[in-house]
Amino acid sequence: MGHVSKRLYSSASKLAVSTSQLKQFPPKEAILTPDSGKPNFFDPELWATLQPPPTSALTAFAHRIGLANVLSSADVVRRACTHKSFLNLHAKYYPASPTPPTNANLATLGNSLMGLFASEHLHAAYPHLPTRVLKAAVSAHVGPLTCASVAQEMGAAPLLRWHRQPTTPMSPALLHSDALASIPRAITALVYQEISIQSARKFVQSFFLSRQVDLRSMIRFRDPKRALIETVEKFGRERPKSRLLKETGRYSNSPVFVVGIFSGQDKLGEGFGSSLKMAEYRAAEDSLHRLYLTRTPNHLLQVPSSTFPSKQCSIYKTGSEAPYTPGALGEAEILYASSGRSNIVAPKRPTLEEIEAKRESLDV
Amino acid sequence: MLKPRLSPWFTRGYATRIAEKPPARFSDPLLNDPNVVVKTLKDENLTFIHRPPPTAPSPYSTTLAPASPLLKSPTTPNKHAPMPPLLRPSAYNAAPSRMSDKDIEQLRKLRLSNPEKYSRAKLARLFKCTPNFVSKVAALPRPQRKEFGRKMEAEHETVREQWGEKKATFVAIKQKRREFW
Repeated sequence: MGHVSKRLYSSASKLAVSTSQLKQFPPKEAILTPDSGKPNFFDPELWATLQPPPTSALTAFAHRIGLANVLSSADVVRRACTHKSFLNLHAKYYPASPTPPTNANLATLGNSLMGLFASEHLHAAYPHLPTRVLKAAVSAHVGPLTCASVAQEMGAAPLLRWHRQPTTPMSPALLHSDALASIPRAITALVYQEISIQSARKFVQSFFLSRQVDLRSMIRFRDPKRALIETVEKFGRERPKSRLLKETGRYSNSPVFVVGIFSGQDKLGEGFGSSLKMAEYRAAEDSLHRLYLTRTPNHLLQVPSSTFPSKQCSIYKTGSEAPYTPGALGEAEILYASSGRSNIVAPKRPTLEEIEAKRESLDV
Repeated sequence: MLKPRLSPWFTRGYATRIAEKPPARFSDPLLNDPNVVVKTLKDENLTFIHRPPPTAPSPYSTTLAPASPLLKSPTTPNKHAPMPPLLRPSAYNAAPSRMSDKDIEQLRKLRLSNPEKYSRAKLARLFKCTPNFVSKVAALPRPQRKEFGRKMEAEHETVREQWGEKKATFVAIKQKRREFW
């Protein structure tokens, strides 16, 4: 057995190519005919990536994630696992075959749905979370890396068909995680299309929103003391004052201080540190964490999309299935160190003179 | 060692008691805690003793039982309740009284006319306020602020170049430690 054949068999076994579903194995391209003077440019890995995953693996995947009734046929699963970057590769090597359907549209729809479900769930769960942190939390729950992780956990990695694309002047590089992330999004869209929006929400809830995400470590501040002063003023309370609760080893090489920040007689938060300043900093952070991470209990959590009908029909139909009481809105967040403006920079509108100058230059 | 003599001049006339260490009595460790909650079920002859952990409250804060006092109504101020000491001695100084508008205008005029001569520290001493207040109330325009920053950075850079290796290392360690606050 030559080294090319060895590589072919090893690649075939590694990349889950079902040889039983092929017309001929080894494929015609792989067989080296010594009579013809043409050189052989056969790449086993490339050939393996071009082959579709076996039907058994696709059906097993559908049953594994409990969506056998949604992903009814292997073709549907194959479509959900084909990224749009695969089309160029397929057209290059099999120009005669029909183009395989891709998950591009499904992934876009699924991405929007996941963003909707995650945002409303997190906003209902943490009513006092500031906007930037809410966005970061949504990314942590249904962002591209999380979707890629979930796809790996589902076992969709060997079923993915994609083609790596380097950075071009028009577009950034395509990474494996981005291609993998398209699979759960496509599945969400399929659940929405086949069953209903409520089922899609249940799918996203069970696979994404039930994951444990440590929001506390994600919330960092540039100046927590100043943020706390402004927040306390917004709530109309007494100015916060730092008090020393406990200390030990002040003049040793490893002191420990415990500082609490009080508004009147209420302790807003406490923090420890090896210096007074560090302990105060941490106490300010703790005070803001206690406010931001106040969570609605699960039995009181209600999301707006629960008012959509649970049967497969137009979502614009009125008549909610379950009674819905909107959650209380949290206190509006503070803006500090921004000169009254947020970091959003609006594009400058061109003046009349500039517009006319452009028009003249075009005419000329 | 002298033998004890029973002569009337060397012995006490009243009854004596040989010192005895009292027997050690230990309180029940299960009921030692002041916050202990005991519930007895006489029928089943069961006793439930709940001893809550001594420090840190639950990290979980819910809308029904928020950990932040900002989400609850403020407690009524009690003048006689002892409070822990304030962190820094300057916190015990009374807050300065509100500056009149005339003084603020004057301060702003002086600062913007000649920031080099009328520095924040000098104006703070003049008007009896803090340098931070001067920055807030009489902020210089952004290009001037940036210019000052650049000049200060250049001065600091010349000082930093004169540091030895050890000093530079210690300062770098301190800065890194600051990142982990």
